Amino acid sequence: MKRIQLLTAILFVLGSTPTSASALTGSEILKKVDSLRNPLSSFQIDVDLISYRNEASETWKMRVFGQGTEKSLVEFVDPASQKGQYLLMLNDAMWIYLPGTSRPIRISPLQRLMGEASNGDVARTNYSIDYDAELAGEAEAEGQSCYRLELTAKDPGVSYSRVMLWVSKKNYEPIKADFYVVSGKLMKHAYFREFGMMNGNRAITAIEIQDAVRAGRRTVMRYSKLQPKELPEKMFNKNYLGKW
Amino acid sequence: MLTRIAFRNVFRNRRRSTITMLVLIFGATALILFGGYKEISFYGLRESTIRNRVGHLQIYKKGYLDSESQKPLEFGLENVRELRRAVESDPRVEMTVPQVSLMGLVTNGEKSETFLATGVESEKDQKMSAQRLVAGESISDQENDGVIVGELLARSMAVKPGDFLTLMSTTVNGSLNGMDVRVRGTFATGVKEFDERAIKMPLAGAQQLLQTTKIEKLLVLLKKTDDTDSVKRDLESRFSQNHWGLEMRDWSALATYYHQVKNIFNGIFGFLGIVVFLIVIVSVANTIIMSIFERTREIGTLMAIGTRRRQIWAMFFLEGLLIGVLGGILGIAFGSAVGELINQAHIQLPPPPGYTTGYQLRIMLKPSILVTVMVLSSVTATLASVLPAFKASRLKIVDALGHI
Amino acid sequence: MNTALIKLKGIRKSYRLGKVDVVALRDVSLEIQAGEFVALAGASGSGKTTLLNLIGCIDKPSAGSIQLDGVDVTGKSLPALAGIRSRRIGFIFQTFNLLPVLSAFENVEYPLLFAGLGRSQRRKRVWQWLQHAGLRDQARQRPDQLSGGQRQRVAIARAMVTEPSLVLADEPTANLDSGTAAQILDLMSQINSETGTTFLFATHDPRITERASRQIRLQDGQIAGYALTPEFHWRLANAH
Repeated sequence: MKRIQLLTAILFVLGSTPTSASALTGSEILKKVDSLRNPLSSFQIDVDLISYRNEASETWKMRVFGQGTEKSLVEFVDPASQKGQYLLMLNDAMWIYLPGTSRPIRISPLQRLMGEASNGDVARTNYSIDYDAELAGEAEAEGQSCYRLELTAKDPGVSYSRVMLWVSKKNYEPIKADFYVVSGKLMKHAYFREFGMMNGNRAITAIEIQDAVRAGRRTVMRYSKLQPKELPEKMFNKNYLGKW
Repeated sequence: MLTRIAFRNVFRNRRRSTITMLVLIFGATALILFGGYKEISFYGLRESTIRNRVGHLQIYKKGYLDSESQKPLEFGLENVRELRRAVESDPRVEMTVPQVSLMGLVTNGEKSETFLATGVESEKDQKMSAQRLVAGESISDQENDGVIVGELLARSMAVKPGDFLTLMSTTVNGSLNGMDVRVRGTFATGVKEFDERAIKMPLAGAQQLLQTTKIEKLLVLLKKTDDTDSVKRDLESRFSQNHWGLEMRDWSALATYYHQVKNIFNGIFGFLGIVVFLIVIVSVANTIIMSIFERTREIGTLMAIGTRRRQIWAMFFLEGLLIGVLGGILGIAFGSAVGELINQAHIQLPPPPGYTTGYQLRIMLKPSILVTVMVLSSVTATLASVLPAFKASRLKIVDALGHI
Repeated sequence: MNTALIKLKGIRKSYRLGKVDVVALRDVSLEIQAGEFVALAGASGSGKTTLLNLIGCIDKPSAGSIQLDGVDVTGKSLPALAGIRSRRIGFIFQTFNLLPVLSAFENVEYPLLFAGLGRSQRRKRVWQWLQHAGLRDQARQRPDQLSGGQRQRVAIARAMVTEPSLVLADEPTANLDSGTAAQILDLMSQINSETGTTFLFATHDPRITERASRQIRLQDGQIAGYALTPEFHWRLANAH
């Protein structure tokens, strides 16, 4: 299931327009968080993914093309063994295309549990669209003073039904997020490690996700070279995967 | 008189008759023993397939059998309680067993494997007892998150009864879910591929993991397997009357392994029958031909003093028939006796490939097998005598009389 | 009025032996009257058995005609002649030819199955002839429990049970010792004079030929001569 591990196409990114916050309601804070992730509606971004299992690590380089909030196409660039593979994500459905085959393969939600695909779901999280936010107080996280937001999924189909989000009081940048499933079990810790300038705006440039259930597993994703790009509809049609 | 002559001629040459009879007896015995063995195997396999695995009938929501849904339980059964009550109202039904199956990842914190879980009510599972508990105790409705695990999976996860595992899966809505479970025991089914992946858990626990009240299917167990067809018909008419949108399968449609085994065994039995048939034909034909040869002068005399050709033919034909019938009767008697002896001897056989337990060798003396053997014996012997008898009837009197 | 029982005219019989045609009988003509006690004499190979077979309707001539008891049997097929054989002719063989699986009683009874008699009628006849042959006590015994002489008696009873017009005997005494042979001959002679049944023997036993009223000598398939025996004269004398 190595390829599935590559799934980390995770990026996806759905953009949302930044707003200027005046009051500090949970949902408004959430919107600010989302604005740091990707404000563009049609874009391309480079992603480096390093997957750690205890001390060992593997690195993948990808280019992600996204449109709107629900469509993204991941092109694998490195290592050479994955070059030419594509991952297409539409809403909740996912397909992988391998060069030399005639058709893309559908990936079931179950297969996404495994490997890096699950991290993809985490990194892809569109907070303001999928969750209702409630300000639950203040706390310290990673040495910073934060607002603590309790997020509840709006729809039962959302991957993680509850998220605890720590947002910096100083600049509303996300610091840490804990992801919970329906049963209440904590599955992932996400740390928003680095912020930088991309396409003229401040954005999250590195995120680290730790597996709360399986010891020693963490993934670091680095984003760079975000740029707006006009993308043809065909690109997000599974029947054309690999044909252009 | 002709019958009398034919009958007495059967015993005329003691040694030859004995050998011919022995051939028939051995052939009959071989068929009876193998046939009886296959019948008992079918019966055993059928009942164990039904009572331990698939049930007599399975009820699904309409569309389940053809579906290829990405979401679990998209075609799940709802209104389960009402359905069960309706089905159990038939006195021929022994019990109904609701089942849910799901797949996911199981992890002990270090390592993860895929698992295949079945959610069942613990008491029903006890009654079906498809697995042999190797350690610990079985699931209980008192502990929704207490599971039993295939022994090879337990070994892979390095767990023993009392340890904990985490099950991860997707809910019916497509979101992720995870559940910590306690290993109550480990089991072995004897099938390696199954023991490497299987988990059994309380139905309520599985439903919780899936976030649903639906079930995947309802198994129906009857008191007598012979009732299957009539109960199925009754249920079908009741379902369509009430427009419940359900579909059903009977055990026969689900027991593919059973049918494969049955076909193989029946094929071998058929082959054995052909072999016996050929041996008997050759043996009886040889006996009759030798009789005719030795009695040529006798045949000439009979024809000289007025016996017609067709009567000569009938005489030898009857002799063949009598050999067949007598051989059949003796064969059945001997074969049945040997079969009974084997049953009384309680011989234990080693486990078949892929299984871990052996079983007792038993022969089922089914009337249909005995009848088949009787018919085969009679028909074969008769056929064997047809041509030689015809040849005998065409002898020229003068040549026959001059024969040594 | 010539009402001979057996009339043969120009009988010829040949058969194929490998690639060669062997002529067993050439141009044989003879007549036998009812009630005669005739011997066909000749060395082996002279054709006596062949002639007997033709008269007995168990073989067909290659040429010539045969009349039996007024019936021309030449044209009929052998299976069609089965009826004539069973009703009008009795056979006695050198090797007795009894059915070993049947008792003496059953052996004698056998030909009556084709005679259309009821069960009790059959039984009566069988006992009658067993008695005549002196075998009442041996009725239930099988041939292998009887002596040679007794077996031939059973054969005689069997031949006579249908009350045929003609009895054909091929070397009936050849397998018997002289004492027994004499007894058998006495029996047949007695039956001949009591019932008037015609007896035709094929034999080279001089005792038979002596007792016969007439001898027909065969040599190389042809009639070599007739001889009238003292017996003949004796009968002739007593016929009036």
